Amino acid sequence: MNCFRARKWILLYAEADLPARRSQRLEAHLDKCATCKKEIEEIRAALAGIQTVADQGTLDWPEAEWMVLMARIKSERPGPRPKSTLQAFPRKSWAYGLALVLILVAAVLIRKIVPSPPPIPLLAEIMMPTPAQPLRALRTDEATSAGYPQDLPFRVYERREGPDRVLLAAGPALDKAAQDMMSMTLVSQETGLKVHWTFNRNFDWEEKKK
Amino acid sequence: MVELVLGGRTEAFEPLVTPYRKLLLTMAYRLSRNIEEAKEISQETLLRAFRYLGSFDKKRSFKNWLLQIEMNVWRSLGPKTPDEGTLRQMAVPDAAENPEESLAGKEAREKLLSCLDGLSPREREVFLLRDIEGRSVKETAEILRTSAISVRVHLSRARDRVRELVKERYPGLMRTQG
Repeated sequence: MNCFRARKWILLYAEADLPARRSQRLEAHLDKCATCKKEIEEIRAALAGIQTVADQGTLDWPEAEWMVLMARIKSERPGPRPKSTLQAFPRKSWAYGLALVLILVAAVLIRKIVPSPPPIPLLAEIMMPTPAQPLRALRTDEATSAGYPQDLPFRVYERREGPDRVLLAAGPALDKAAQDMMSMTLVSQETGLKVHWTFNRNFDWEEKKK
Repeated sequence: MVELVLGGRTEAFEPLVTPYRKLLLTMAYRLSRNIEEAKEISQETLLRAFRYLGSFDKKRSFKNWLLQIEMNVWRSLGPKTPDEGTLRQMAVPDAAENPEESLAGKEAREKLLSCLDGLSPREREVFLLRDIEGRSVKETAEILRTSAISVRVHLSRARDRVRELVKERYPGLMRTQG
């Protein structure tokens, strides 16, 4: 310890107001430092002087004024215990606990009373608007599905509308019952993310991610 | 005795507070350094003590409770100009003392106590409670409704300042006491 720090602690040490651990460290310094020791003596001398003077110089009420004051006080009534909401609780922690419970109850009530906002749309719903109505299924006589796999539960129809343009449409297979739902699963090879799409007959779709 | 007063026997209040009448007035004077203000503070302290006696926690020291009220009253009234003129009329007469010596002594005491004028209000409160009234750091913190750390910080500053002032104004005192 250096003298700079010691001098700060000495002010409390002089009247035994320094915590024990610091006192021990300071004492170790004082054993080696005569200057700091002298400072302690100075502080003690100054305090002793003030204390002696203070002890000798007490004041007292003139008796007449004291009697008037006491008469005035006696003419009043001692007030009741001041009412404070916290005073009903022997410990502050109980008051805080009750306040917390009240806040929770209020939160539950508010949640019940105030209607909940509409659910937040999925990001995909925001970025991809609902697709337009699907193409009308082509009549069998104007389309062909010869080039597509036959094991699908639906049939893909194709109509050529020009040299570079082919229009595709899906429709029920002739020999199978029409189905209302179609699903599609996309799997990312890099991340393993699976996106499962289910289409209804209006081509509205739902998305699930795994 | 507190119960007696609360039970309606207001005459029991006087013996309850009489042991502290000097303490309250002296402390008020040392805080304010103005005798009229000291009387005002002391009177208001006793009135509030009577009015709020019902809120006194009997586990606490009655003396410390009174001191706490007095500190609050002093802060609420605010400081006024120091006045030493009427002090002599109120000092406790000491039969053993020669009247002339007593007067000179009082003046010397006043000058020495004026070292407290160089302290901030908070430092003065802490110094008076701890070093003059002999309350512990913990009790001082309780009276002032602050932490022991804060008390130590202010006490340290106050002692440093008092030492400087005493050394500057009364170098002989430092030598004789040391």
